[in-house]
Amino acid sequence: MMIKIENLYRTFHHDDNEVPVLKNINLNIKEGECIVLKGVSGSGKTTLLSLIAGLDKPSSGKVLIDGEPISKLPDLFASELRAKKIGMIFQHFNLFEHLTVHENVTIPLIPSGLKMKEIQKKVDRALSLAHISHKKEIQAGRLSGGEQQRTAIARALVADPDIILCDEPTANLDRDNSLLFIESIKELNRLGKTIVIATHDPLFEHLDFKSTIIPMADGKIVSSYDDE
Amino acid sequence: MNANAFWHFLTLQLVKERSKHLSVILISMMIVFLLSSVLFISSSIRYSLEETLKVQPDFVVSRTLGGTAIPTPMAWGDELLEIYGVSQVTPRVYGRYFFEPKGKSFLLVGVDFMEEQSHKNLQALIETTDIKAFFEGKQMFVGQGVKEYLNAHFYKGSYNFLTPKGQFENVKFFKTLPSQTNLISNDMIILPLDLARKILGYDEEEVTDILFNVPNTDEWDMMTDKLSALHYDLHVVNKKEVQRSYANLYNYKGGVFLILFLILLATFSLILYQRYSMVYSSERRHIGLLRALGWSINAVLRYKFTETIVVVSVSYILGVLLAYFYVFVLGAPILREIFLGGKNLHNIVGFLPVLDFSVLSSIFLIYALPFIASVLIPVWKVSVTDPKEAML
Ligand SMILES: Nc1ncnc2c1ncn2[C@@H]1O[C@H](COP(=O)(O)OP(=O)(O)O)[C@@H](O)[C@H]1O
Ligand SMILES: [Mg+2]
Repeated sequence: MMIKIENLYRTFHHDDNEVPVLKNINLNIKEGECIVLKGVSGSGKTTLLSLIAGLDKPSSGKVLIDGEPISKLPDLFASELRAKKIGMIFQHFNLFEHLTVHENVTIPLIPSGLKMKEIQKKVDRALSLAHISHKKEIQAGRLSGGEQQRTAIARALVADPDIILCDEPTANLDRDNSLLFIESIKELNRLGKTIVIATHDPLFEHLDFKSTIIPMADGKIVSSYDDE
Repeated sequence: MNANAFWHFLTLQLVKERSKHLSVILISMMIVFLLSSVLFISSSIRYSLEETLKVQPDFVVSRTLGGTAIPTPMAWGDELLEIYGVSQVTPRVYGRYFFEPKGKSFLLVGVDFMEEQSHKNLQALIETTDIKAFFEGKQMFVGQGVKEYLNAHFYKGSYNFLTPKGQFENVKFFKTLPSQTNLISNDMIILPLDLARKILGYDEEEVTDILFNVPNTDEWDMMTDKLSALHYDLHVVNKKEVQRSYANLYNYKGGVFLILFLILLATFSLILYQRYSMVYSSERRHIGLLRALGWSINAVLRYKFTETIVVVSVSYILGVLLAYFYVFVLGAPILREIFLGGKNLHNIVGFLPVLDFSVLSSIFLIYALPFIASVLIPVWKVSVTDPKEAML
């Protein structure tokens, strides 16, 4: 199992109030699967993704990545696991706007211990996978939305992770660029990546490749999901 | 972490975000500059005073009547010589001479060049002077400030002093006094005893005061009592008392300094606060993003720490260098007025370059530690408590 989520709860504390955001999530995602977490804003999708990535800690329950309990590891190990196994794509692209495309894509590898030369090799490969090599010397802030998202894809791919997490990846893209993004996802899926997309974009409801839609509402998975 | 890749990214960020860093560096540089200037000046003054005192005679005896100093009889010098423990008795004639046309005054000091001097600098001066050449005609040593003033008023080789009797005495410049401990010697003119007497209007057997040393400092208090009993109009001062009055003078300057210092600190805290909130608002996202891209809290902290160290060091080094140049090369225009006063100490006083490393390191501590803390604490807080920042 690539991602295993067991009895996951996440509760935030507002002053004296307890706000349960995720309530007993159980989910098994196999290697190479494409999962679409679908739900209205506020249903807990982002919180779930951040727990999968080990950026946030659950109130109870656990998340296993390829057998390792990322939610229980100390930061140093959780970060290492995230750096190796997980690539992330965000709604707001989140590029360093003053850096070039190429420089942006190196960032995940900076703490990796790799030599600059090896890093460059990996960066070039990721850039061509994401079809953005031709813009590599352009400052990220000058790119169109679609190009920014492709840069973000290259950045997510650069460490050759098994898992790609996407949070509302098409929210800031027009229809054409959204379709292009879906094409990229299809390619990644073909490469055998495990993909989790949190979105409320209806475009993801009818993908022309095998995917599983998991509806979320109010911090729960709505329809029962057969984990085989 | 591969050091190479790390530094590559750090330099990249520093260079590409230079406008952000530049303003911080400039402001911090100004603060370090002001702090170091003030500290450079005060340690230089302290050094000069210490050096000055070191060479001064232990005792000064003069005659006072009704609270006014009047000429001291030379005969007292012979009496002093009789006292056990007294050495290097030196009669001295000095006074302020007011120059025409601007009313500027300099200190005229008459010295008996044939006697051993109790003032160590004078002694050194005499020992290195070709006495024969000096006594060919009427000549004088002038301080740096005196020389510049007279030169500016077209007295290139000599000056015509006007005596109280209405005669002119033409005295040639012999040499410029060495500028060491120039706090005192800067506005000084040194000439032979007889000549000083004439110019200042003293009689043959009169001097302004008599200096002498008492090598055994334990005897100083007793000596003071003994001398006071010698003549009812004898006034005696020892070096310890002079030291105390200097200390008072610079304590007052120290107060001014303290205020300046407090203003600086207040400004600095404001900037730090601003920096703190800036890190908080604008860099939250970056930090969250780095975390999401696989950077550990350690890696983020290390990165931010190194970045801050670079910014801090650059501004510290530039600020200190600038202060050094301003104080010791330019002579600290403006700030000098605060410390030396426009009138108290005359003329151009250059500061002797004194590099006190404890001062330099305290500046670094006062400046760098709060600065680094003001960056690292929010960075740490953000990386620990706002894990999803980049995703919102
Ligand atoms: N750090 C937080 N503190 C308090 N409440 C939070 C925090 N993060 C998310 N929430 C709340 O959790 C709920 C789900 O948020 P989120 O996971 O962002 O949903 P989605 O991504 O599906 O829109 C929202 O009501 C939100 O206000
Ligand atoms: Mg969301």
